[in-house]
Amino acid sequence: MQIKTTQYTIRIDVIEITGRLEAFTVSDLRDEQTRLLDNGAHNFVIDLSHTEFMDSAGMSALVSLLKQARQAGGEVVLVKPTDPAAYRILTLTRFDKVFQMADTLDVAYENFK
Amino acid sequence: MRIAIVTTYPPGRGSLNEYAFHFVNHLRQKPEVSEIIILADELPDGETYPKDDNPEGIAPVSIRQCWRFGAWNNVITIRAAVKDLTPDVVLLNLQFATFSDQRIPASIGLLTPWLVKSTGALTAVLLHNIMETVDLKKAGFGGNPIIENITRIAGNIFTRMMLKADLVMVTIPKYVDILTEKYSAEHIILAPHGAFEDIPEPSYELPDGPLQIMTFGKFGTYKKVDSLIEAFEILQSKHAEPLELVIAGTDSPNTPGYLEDVQQRYAHVNNVRYTGYVAEEDVPRIFGDSAVVVFPYNSTTGSSGVLHQAGSYGKAVALPNLGDFAELIQDEGYQGEFFEPDDPQSMAESISKFIDDPAYRRTISAHNFVAASGLPMSEVVDWYLLHFERILDQRQTTPLVPQSETRSS
Repeated sequence: MQIKTTQYTIRIDVIEITGRLEAFTVSDLRDEQTRLLDNGAHNFVIDLSHTEFMDSAGMSALVSLLKQARQAGGEVVLVKPTDPAAYRILTLTRFDKVFQMADTLDVAYENFK
Repeated sequence: MRIAIVTTYPPGRGSLNEYAFHFVNHLRQKPEVSEIIILADELPDGETYPKDDNPEGIAPVSIRQCWRFGAWNNVITIRAAVKDLTPDVVLLNLQFATFSDQRIPASIGLLTPWLVKSTGALTAVLLHNIMETVDLKKAGFGGNPIIENITRIAGNIFTRMMLKADLVMVTIPKYVDILTEKYSAEHIILAPHGAFEDIPEPSYELPDGPLQIMTFGKFGTYKKVDSLIEAFEILQSKHAEPLELVIAGTDSPNTPGYLEDVQQRYAHVNNVRYTGYVAEEDVPRIFGDSAVVVFPYNSTTGSSGVLHQAGSYGKAVALPNLGDFAELIQDEGYQGEFFEPDDPQSMAESISKFIDDPAYRRTISAHNFVAASGLPMSEVVDWYLLHFERILDQRQTTPLVPQSETRSS
C-alpha cells in the first residue's frame, strides 16, 4: 500500500487599510501592491472595515490591483467598509458588483477555498 | 473585445473630440481590446481623418464616418454602421448637443443608444452632462421660457430613452445620484474623467517673459472670455510685472464667430494672444508656459477635461464658484481660487492671489498635480472594460432570446 498526502497552501495577502484612502495617500497603497505582486502574490483580501473614506483615486488603485491579480490567475476580495463615506464610492462606481465582497475577514477567506 | 465608439474625433472640432482622442489612445493599449472602430462625424470638405499606422502590439483603430453634425438621420446611419460592423460593445461619447445645435435633430440623435441596443451589441453611454443640471440658456438652448420648459420635458423623455442603454457612465457623483433617484435606474455608473496623460512631475518654474494667464477650450456658450479680458485689464492696471492673456482654443460649434467678435470688441486691450486651434502636440507647451489657468465659465455641463489637464501639468487654477464645479473639485481633490462667475473684479482678485505669491502658486500647482496623478485615464479605461466584461459574462450565462422566438407554453 502506498499513501500519498499532498498539502495545498493558498497564499492570501491581506491588506488592511485604516484612515483615508484618497489621491494624497494612495501612492503608499500602490507601492505596497506593486511590492506584493512582484513577490508573486495574486490572491488578495483588502480589509476596508477600518477605512474612513475612499475617493475615486483610491478606488482606482483597487481596480488596478484586481486587473493585475486576475491576469496572474488570482482574485481580490474586499471586506466591506463599515463607514458610509468609504462605501459610497463602491456603490457609485458599481464596483460592488465587480469585486467579490465579504462582510468579514473570515468570509473573505472562504472565497478562496 | 471589438469596441465601436460613436464620437467626435480630431481633427473634427466637435465637443468631446479631445476626450475621445485620449480615451481611444488608452483603450487600444489594453490586451482585452482587439479592435476599435470610431464611428465619427463627417469632416468639412478637404479635411480627412488620419490613417492609423496600426502599431504592433496594440489594437488597430479605424474610423468610419457615418453621421453629420446637424443631420436628422444620424440615428439611422449610426445604427446601420453598427449592424454592419457587429462589434461586441458600442460606447457612445455624448453630451446633449453632440448631434446638433438645433433642438429637434439634437434630440433625435439621443435616440441612438436605444436603437443601437436593438442590434444586440452591448450598448454603453458616457454621458458628459445631464439635462437636470444644464442651464439651457447658457448652453445655447434657451430663449423663450415656454420653449425652455418644453425643452426640459423633452430632455427628460430623451434621457429616459438614453437610459435604455445597458450601461450609463457619468463623470460626477451627483449625476449618479440624480439619475438613480429620478429615473429609478440601477445601471448608472460613476466613471471619473481621469487625467489624460501620465506625466512626470513638472518643475513648477515658469519660462522667462511675461506671466501667462491662460484659458483653454471651445468658447461662446457657457465658456465666455469677455469677463476674463476685463479681469485682465484690471490686472494689468494693478501689476507692474508684464502679463499676457492667452486665449487658447476655438469657437464652440454652437457659436461660430464668437472669438472674432470678442477680438474686435476688445481690440484696445493689449497683450492678449488668441492661439486658435491648439494641435495635440502643442498642448504641453501651452499649459507648461502658463502661470495660472482660468475657467471663465458661467455654467457647467459636466466634468472638465481642462481641469484635469491643468492638474496633469501642475498648474494653479482660478475657478468659478458653481455648484457642480465646486463639488467636482472637492470630490477629485483639486484646489484653486474661486471667483463669482461673470464678475471681472472677483476673477482678477482670484488670479492675483497666484501672481502676487509665487510660493502659493507653486503649492497649489503641486497639490493639483498629485490630485491629477491619482486617477489617470489609463486606469479609468479599465473601469469601463471591467463593467463591459461583467455584462458580457452575464449574457453568456443567460443568453438573450430574440423577442420573435419567445413563446408561452
